[in-house]
Amino acid sequence: MARKQTPLRPYFEKMSDIGKELSEAEVKRGAKNLEAVAEQEALIKAEETRVHEAGIPAERVRSRGSMTIYDRLDYMVDAGTWQPLHSLYNPTENEEGCTGVVSGMGKIEGRWAVIIGFDNKVMAGAWIAGQAENILMITDLAKRLNIPLVWLTNCSGVKLMEQETVYAGRRSSGAPFFRHAELNKLGIPILNAIYGTNPAGGGYQGISPTILLAHEGANIAVGGAGIVGGMNPKGEIDLEGARALIEGTKSFHGKTPGRAETHFDATAYFREVHETEEGVLDGIKDYMRMMPAFDAAMFRVAEPAQPKYPLEDITLILPANQKRPYDAMQILARLMDNSEFMEYRPDYGPEVFTGIAKMDGFPVAVIGNNQGIIADYPDYADGEYPGVGGKHYRQGLIKQSEFVTLCGRDNLPIIWLQDTTGIDVGDAAEEAELLALGQSLVYSIEQTDIPMMCVILRKGQAAAHYIMCGPQANNNNAFTLGTPLTEICVMHGETAAAASYARRLVKEDDEGRDIQPVVDKMNQMIDDYRAKSEPAYGAKMGFVDEIVSLSRLRGYMEAFAGANYQNPKSITPVHQMLLPRAIRG
Amino acid sequence: MSTEVTAPMSGNIYEISVAVGDDVKAEDELLILEAMKMENPIYAPVDGKVTEIKVAVDDAVEANAVLIILD
Repeated sequence: MARKQTPLRPYFEKMSDIGKELSEAEVKRGAKNLEAVAEQEALIKAEETRVHEAGIPAERVRSRGSMTIYDRLDYMVDAGTWQPLHSLYNPTENEEGCTGVVSGMGKIEGRWAVIIGFDNKVMAGAWIAGQAENILMITDLAKRLNIPLVWLTNCSGVKLMEQETVYAGRRSSGAPFFRHAELNKLGIPILNAIYGTNPAGGGYQGISPTILLAHEGANIAVGGAGIVGGMNPKGEIDLEGARALIEGTKSFHGKTPGRAETHFDATAYFREVHETEEGVLDGIKDYMRMMPAFDAAMFRVAEPAQPKYPLEDITLILPANQKRPYDAMQILARLMDNSEFMEYRPDYGPEVFTGIAKMDGFPVAVIGNNQGIIADYPDYADGEYPGVGGKHYRQGLIKQSEFVTLCGRDNLPIIWLQDTTGIDVGDAAEEAELLALGQSLVYSIEQTDIPMMCVILRKGQAAAHYIMCGPQANNNNAFTLGTPLTEICVMHGETAAAASYARRLVKEDDEGRDIQPVVDKMNQMIDDYRAKSEPAYGAKMGFVDEIVSLSRLRGYMEAFAGANYQNPKSITPVHQMLLPRAIRG
Repeated sequence: MSTEVTAPMSGNIYEISVAVGDDVKAEDELLILEAMKMENPIYAPVDGKVTEIKVAVDDAVEANAVLIILD
């Protein structure tokens, strides 16, 4: 009888246990936290509902016999696998309340895909400001994870009244067509379900993917019927011109160009045309079954297992009070399979933890900030001050760089758990080479070329937000999540106000003037910092790709790990991995 | 047997969470010591009764100073 096992079993089957059940006192203390988290979650939920209801009512779309974008996603995506991204993204504060596309990751027929579609309730899926950037983030995600991109196209083209916000420029709405070409060049398929009228920009949105499937009422074209009908050559509209336009419009009986009878029967661009909207999605499902995907058994190092401790505990452990420390291992124990962790150099660089864990049975690397005061550290401070978790010092920076480099060698995807206030400052820190070591970590990340995801658990501040694979790591960071407790800003508002107004205070005081107006400005600045550091603001501006409830974090981690190992560009045979051996010694 | 709860580092007393006579359990929060811009909770190392509080809010304390005595 054949004997089978997972690879490198002595290392991966059972790692060190981490975490412990919360004590009665911890639960009691954490209860104060629940209210603060619930308040932020309610704010986020209200914003998500507002975006979901953007545009015309869903019922009006359905009464025309169409499905909304959300109906299409519900039908197409495997139940329980949808992980939305950019839900609140709207950096230019469009009057539509969104960027007109809905995006995320989900499984279709058991395979992970990056999925994006036009919200056909919002101006029939028009190009509006911020949308191109949203699409570019999504095409980048498909490229980083090397998994198919699925489009639900339903695009009426440029919102003509605001063409200057979408049409021109390096990262404008034309750039996604080049990204589609790039994905095709890289061998990453793009499946396109085409609905409705898609003229001009919508036409290129239709034609640029790899496989085109259309609804029988759909069309894609270089230009729409209005443009085909002719232009007014006078340079302005006079009454005569307006009357001609009225007559022309009334008498126009031409058909919209680019219909199925052209692009199925004549050009054969469309592989399939379906009578029903669901039929198109069934076609996408058929093609998804053809997409390149290894069986998970190829890369799993153990059976998938839930953490031993409840995810919901994280809300009790992670303090809403940003000045309170916590035990980061208690968080990790509620995220990783079976609450196990194989830590790399735990006695070196104690302000950060680095190591290997399992996510849904796949091996992953984890890097995060420890919290609390660290006595007799950093050694270069010579006892002048203690180390503080959340900050970075010499050893921690060296450890992270080493670890990232080894992860690159072993092709281990990295999950970063950021809660950082910065890198140590002062002459001693400069002599300890922290400036160069921070950039050295940036170099190590860039050098590895492996997918990484980042969670800003609480604070993402100063350069530390960058060096811990924040979203600025464009080539490695697949996506960045915030939580209801995330606060992203260059520094605290109080610190910024002091830095900005300290000299002014001295001057006003020396010259005998009232300092209250300056104090008022400082407080105004602090309030402004607070408002612009909050989770919903960060989601709107794109500081993070999504704000996620603490109890939903693991779902995104499973998606990240599963997508990473679906069709990896590079493979390290598990039995040839170095990191597990380096850890064990 | 009495247990002295000491400051792990120098700092300022930010908040005192217990009163003399309170029964506390191990890991209950006794006080908050503010140091390095962090609010560091000091927990009861054992079950016991608070018999003496040797500091007040805003006091500056040195590392290893006795803060609270449990019996």
